This record gives sequence, structure tokens and C-alpha cells, in this order.
Amino acid sequence: MSAAVRVEALVKSFGQARALDGLDLTVRTGEVHGFLGPNGSGKTTTTRVLLGQMRADSGRAELLGGDPWRDATELHRRLAYVPGDVTLWPSLTGGEVIDLLGRVRGGLDPRRRAELLERFELDPRKRCRAYSKGNRQKVALVAAFASDVELLILDEPTSGLDPLMEAVFNECVLREKRDGRTVLLSSHILSEVETLCDRVSIIRAGRTVESGSLADLRHFTRTSVTAQLAGPVPGLASLPGVHDLTVDGALLRCQVDGDALTAVLGELSRVGVRTLTTRPPTLEELFLRHYEGAAA
Amino acid sequence: MTGTWTLIRLILRRDRVLLPVWIVISALLPAGVASATAALYTDQAARDAFTAASMNNPAQLAMRGPVHEASLGGLTAWTLGSSGALIGGLVSILLVIRHTRAEEEAGRRELLASGVVGRHAPLAAALTVVLAANLLLGLLSVPGLVREGLPAGSSVLFGLSTASAGWAFAAVAALTAQLTAASGTARGVAVAAGGLLFAVRSLADAGGVPWLAWLSPFGWARLTRPYAGDRWWVLGVVVVSVAALTASAFALSTRRDVAGGLLAARRGPAAGTLRGGIGLAWRLHRGTIVGSGIGFCLLGVLLGMAARGLDSQVDTPQFRELAATIGGPGARVSEVFFTFVMYVLSQIVTAFALVSALRARSEEAAGRAELLLAAPVGRLRWALSHLVFAVAGPALPLAVLGAGAGLAYEGDALRVAGATLAYLPAVWTVVGFATLLFGVLPRQAAAASWSVLGLILLVDLLAEFRLVGGGVQDLSPFVHVPPALLGDASSTVAPLLGLTAVAGALVVAGLALLHRRDLAPST
Repeated sequence: MSAAVRVEALVKSFGQARALDGLDLTVRTGEVHGFLGPNGSGKTTTTRVLLGQMRADSGRAELLGGDPWRDATELHRRLAYVPGDVTLWPSLTGGEVIDLLGRVRGGLDPRRRAELLERFELDPRKRCRAYSKGNRQKVALVAAFASDVELLILDEPTSGLDPLMEAVFNECVLREKRDGRTVLLSSHILSEVETLCDRVSIIRAGRTVESGSLADLRHFTRTSVTAQLAGPVPGLASLPGVHDLTVDGALLRCQVDGDALTAVLGELSRVGVRTLTTRPPTLEELFLRHYEGAAA
Repeated sequence: MTGTWTLIRLILRRDRVLLPVWIVISALLPAGVASATAALYTDQAARDAFTAASMNNPAQLAMRGPVHEASLGGLTAWTLGSSGALIGGLVSILLVIRHTRAEEEAGRRELLASGVVGRHAPLAAALTVVLAANLLLGLLSVPGLVREGLPAGSSVLFGLSTASAGWAFAAVAALTAQLTAASGTARGVAVAAGGLLFAVRSLADAGGVPWLAWLSPFGWARLTRPYAGDRWWVLGVVVVSVAALTASAFALSTRRDVAGGLLAARRGPAAGTLRGGIGLAWRLHRGTIVGSGIGFCLLGVLLGMAARGLDSQVDTPQFRELAATIGGPGARVSEVFFTFVMYVLSQIVTAFALVSALRARSEEAAGRAELLLAAPVGRLRWALSHLVFAVAGPALPLAVLGAGAGLAYEGDALRVAGATLAYLPAVWTVVGFATLLFGVLPRQAAAASWSVLGLILLVDLLAEFRLVGGGVQDLSPFVHVPPALLGDASSTVAPLLGLTAVAGALVVAGLALLHRRDLAPST
């Protein structure tokens, strides 16, 4: 399968601080890829390397089959970018900025532009100095979604949007995916990634700690189990793969490793189960596990 | 008003260098001028002759007004009255806007306003600091003047007269800061009001309409007549006017939202016509270029008119000898005068060019360059779209300065414009230096470039008083511009080509380094 982005062992230091420390990232063509990490983990630095704005100290980066630094201008014809902190020219109107960005990218679809302005409820005649953070973000988003490109690089694009606008944003991303475009979505909002992304890469301190489809990642993590039982199960606590066990009368809660699930369910059914709820791990739990582990 | 004291401390912290430098320089200047005046005009006959010449020169009347008394104090107050008020007024405007509207525009006021800070506190704090600084610089000038042998009472009045112009323009800026959401507009309207009020005073003194002087802070500063009758009560007019302006500023500020303006922001076009990088750059640079063009054209006409009077008014053997020493045999006083003026003004043009040359860096620092460079806009093309205005831009103010002066002087626009345009390569050299710094040390480029221009001005000043040798002075590119009005034009080409080559090399090196480095936004 061809890859829109292929990054291997990327290293980038700013003086003493190592922003990227051997980062790997592969975004397949046509997928929506979630790029997850806490603040300061190197998401924006990776984006800047991919956009040819910074040069890595070592490692390999490939974008749409080209070299992001050497072929920057040519490659930029085929992508659109929305920075996390959008700053615009205070004296220009939103409409002017959208058209300016559209023109330098080689034109945008006027019908799509009008439709997006309406959906995002953006007044294009206001000067950019009067826009809030969310509205500045909408300007960049409209310009990106209305241009005809293969790849969208979105750096925490919804950090200033309200929940209604987030929903509009989600629909737009899904539409891009239907049209066969590739999206690299950097984020720390897990629900957004969970709704939109085919695959995710989780990074911490400039290093990739986990990468794969959501199903793959969940396989390695725990399932929450809540059950009302007919009697006590004394053997459960000593079973390998059972965590955070609490028993409150007949109510039992615990976290179970994927490979211990069969044994636990066998134990429960031996005493008799009245109700049983199992929930796959949320991305949040997945995420927390990685970062708690690292912090300890 | 809650929180005013906290905000005052914040302003003092942010301007801990700027404020002392401004106050100390402004406080030392009067004693320096007094001492220079005493050295130049040693007896009453020399002072009377100088006064008579000045009172007959319409340009001097327009710039400084009449001399009230041909004494050492009278001449000192006359020399500095106008320029002291100009500098104090300009700095006060910039400081008040910086700490009020600019803070709001940047969204920082909002952050503070959510704390325990009263609605009026930001304006009150900015005004307190600026009014106090003006008062301080006025009073600190007194000891130096007294040491030069001037009466203490009149010196205090002179100091307060200088301060009064600063107060008036601080109040004007407080008012314009309420008008619109853009700090650039607030600054522009306040500075334009300053220009208008200066013109009103000029008309009063040179146009024979004396009562007009009462309408302008520039008039008040000399109507107090320090060392020439000491009219203290005129300060009362100043205080009442400043109080009225300040009260209206506070009243207006309660009628608007934080970050909003009294005049609703006009809505702009829904669709844009900017074609790309160069179109955008023109939008960003045009204000500076057109504004400096208009300003320098007016200045040129004024200087040309002043120079026209010079030859007949100071047609004394001493002045002719002075002109010949500087400009060679047969040189006219007016041409020597204009050559000096050009030298100084070309450095102000350089300041405008430096703003344009550093625009690319400010775009990069603000993160706006990132948005454009992520589109198929090459880095070199983007840098050139700004650089072209730093290179071609200064030609406009220089050309219209010379053309205006030439037309008003003898109708010979081309010759004088040629002489002013000869400074273009020197301006380019400083632009080239800024471009090199932009390429190699982006984060320090702005501060370092302005320091270089400041150092050049300092070296020129020190050389004028023979405090540094010619070798040091040669470092200034402006020294190498031949005085085209005085010499023959043929000797001018070689040094200009040399400067252009240096500037070109600096620009090429800067762009090459920019091409290789990481983008360095300040966030």
C-alpha cells in the first residue's frame, strides 16, 4: 500500500532540548490518521518538518513521494495545511484570506467555499483582527476544505471550535475521506480521533509509542467488566491479568487484560451472573495507560 | 480604578529601558543646547544679529516661531521649544497607544480585565506613567540649565512648557485610542492630529494669524514665554485642556466594549482579489510607503521654501566663507544647508526602509508566514515579495523630498531629486544588513538592525563634534555618499556603485542563509 507520509527515526533538537527523538510515522494514502500526543510531545515539530519549514537533524521524511525540504513548493500544490494557532493579517477580511490562500494553492471551488462558509457560520466580511480564535481557525479550515488537494494536514484544528462546529468539522473530514483524500489529524481530543480516524499513532517525548488501527491497539489493552453476581468469587483476585478489582456486596468491578478475559468469564459463570456489562477500552484509557506508565 | 497601581508597575517593568533613556536624553538636551548657544554667540551683538536673521526667515518662523528675547535663555527656549514638544508629543502618543489600544488588540487586556482590574484602570495607569514621565523630564532639565547660568524660576517654567506638549498629546492619544479597534488607526489619527496642530502653530507664526497659536499645544509651549516674561498662567490653559481631553477619553471608554471601538468596524469585501504573495505584500507595505511619500513631499516643499530665503538673508561674508569651506568655492549657503538636511533625512528614510525590510521577519514571528509557506509559495519568492518594497520603497520618499524641495527652491526638481536619490545606495546598505541578519539570526534581527541604524546615527553625531576619528566614521554608509549638490556629478558614480555592490552582496548572503535555515516563529 502506498504511503502519503513516511517518517523514519526522525530526530530534531533545539539546543539542548530534543523535540523529536527517533519518531516514526506512516500515513497510508486515503486514510484519516490520528496523530496523538500531549502538549509539547513533538506533533507540531513533525508537521513543520513535513512542510519543509524545518530540517531534521537525522532520519528520513517522505511526503507524497517527495522530499519535504527539497521539493517543498511542488509538494505544497498537493496539500493544504491548517496550523494549530492560526494568526491572520489583521487588516484583511476573512473572505480575502480564504481567496488568497486558495489562489496561491491554485484555485478553490467557489460552490464549496460558499457552502462551507454557511455551514461554519462564518462572516467573510469581518476583518481578521475582529475574529476570535475559533473564527480564525474556521477561515483556515474553509480555505483548506475548499481547495482541491490530495492531503490535508490539520494541526489541532478544533481547539477553538464549539461542539456544534466540531460536528460540522467531523462531517467535513468524513467527506474528504469519501472523496479519497488523505488526512493527517494531529489532536489531543480523543473522541474526535475515535470518531474520525482509521489508524492512530501515539507519540510521547518525540518518540512513537504506539501505532496501528484502533482495533489493534485495543487488543493489547484492558476491558472493563461490571457484574452482579449470585455469590462471591474468591479466586478472582489471584487470577493473572485482573486489575483494579472492587467488590461491593454483589457488585463487582474490574479491569481485565485481553488474554485473561476467557479465564475471568469462566470464573464468573461458575458462581452465577445476574447482569454483566463489558466495555472495550476507550482511547482515553489507552492514552492514559501510556502516559501514566511513562510518568512513573 | 482598582488595579491601577498594579498596571503602573507592569508598564514600568515593560518599559524599564525605554522610559529612562527617553527621560534622561530629553532632560540633558536643554543644558546642551544652552551651552552650545553660549559658545556660538558670545556677545549680545552676535545674539541680536542671529535673532534678526531668524525673525526674517519664514522657514524658521514656521518651524520654531518668533524669538521672544535675544538672551541666552530666550534663544535656548526658542531652539528647543518646538523640537522638544515634537519629540515629547510623539513619544507620549506612542506610549499611551502601546499601553492601551495595542494591549487590547493583542488580547492581553482581556486577560487582565478578567482579574480584579477596574474598567478605567488600564487608561489611568498609562496616563499616569506618561504624564509623570513628562513632568520628570521637564523638572530634571532644570539643574543643568541653572548650571549654565540661567534663572531657576524661568528654567522650571521652560521644563514645564516642554512637559505640557507631552501631556497634551498623551491626552489626545487617550482619546484616539477609544475610536477604533485598530491600534494602527489610533496611532495614525493621533500623529495626524499632531501634524495638523503643528501646522496651525506654523500658520500662526509665519502666516501672521497670532491668535491661532492658542489653539495648539505647540503654541502653548512657547506662549508661556520662559526667560522672556514668564507667563505662568498659560500652564493653567494647558492643565484645563488636558483635563478636559482626559475626561472625555474616560467618558468615551465607558461607552464601548473591551477590544471594541466607538466607531463600528467597517465590514470589508467578502471575496478577495489578492493574487498571491506580491499582492499581499503590497497590501502590507503600501501604508508605510504612501504615508512616507506624502510626508516627505510636504517636508521637501517646506525645506525648499526655507532654502530660498537663506541666500539673501544670511548673505554675510562669514556665512559665505563657511559655505565655501564646506562646499568648495562658490557654493551657496542654501545648498550647503540642504546638503546637511538631506544627510539627516536620508537616515529617517532608512528607518522606513528598515520597517519594510523587517516585515518578512515580523510575518514569520507572528506565524503568518507559515500559512503562506505551506502553500506552493517558495521561500525565496516570499522573501523577495517583501524585499522589493524595502529596496524600491525608499526611492519614493527620497525622490519626492528632492523634487518638492527643488520645485519650491528654484523650480529645478530634477537636480535636487538626483541629489536625494544619491542616498539610495546607502539606504540599501542598511537594508542589506537587516536582510543578512534575517537570514542568519532571525530572532535577533529586528533588535540588531535597529541598533545598527542607531549606532550609525551616534557615530555621525560624535564625528560632528570631532569625538571620533574619520576611520570610525567611514563605517557609516552615509558618509560615502558624495554631496551631489556641491560637487560635480561625475565624481558621484564610483562610491555609489561601491555601496550598491556591498548592499547587493549582503542581500544575496541573507537570502542564501534564509533558504537554508529553519523557520523560526516566536510561538
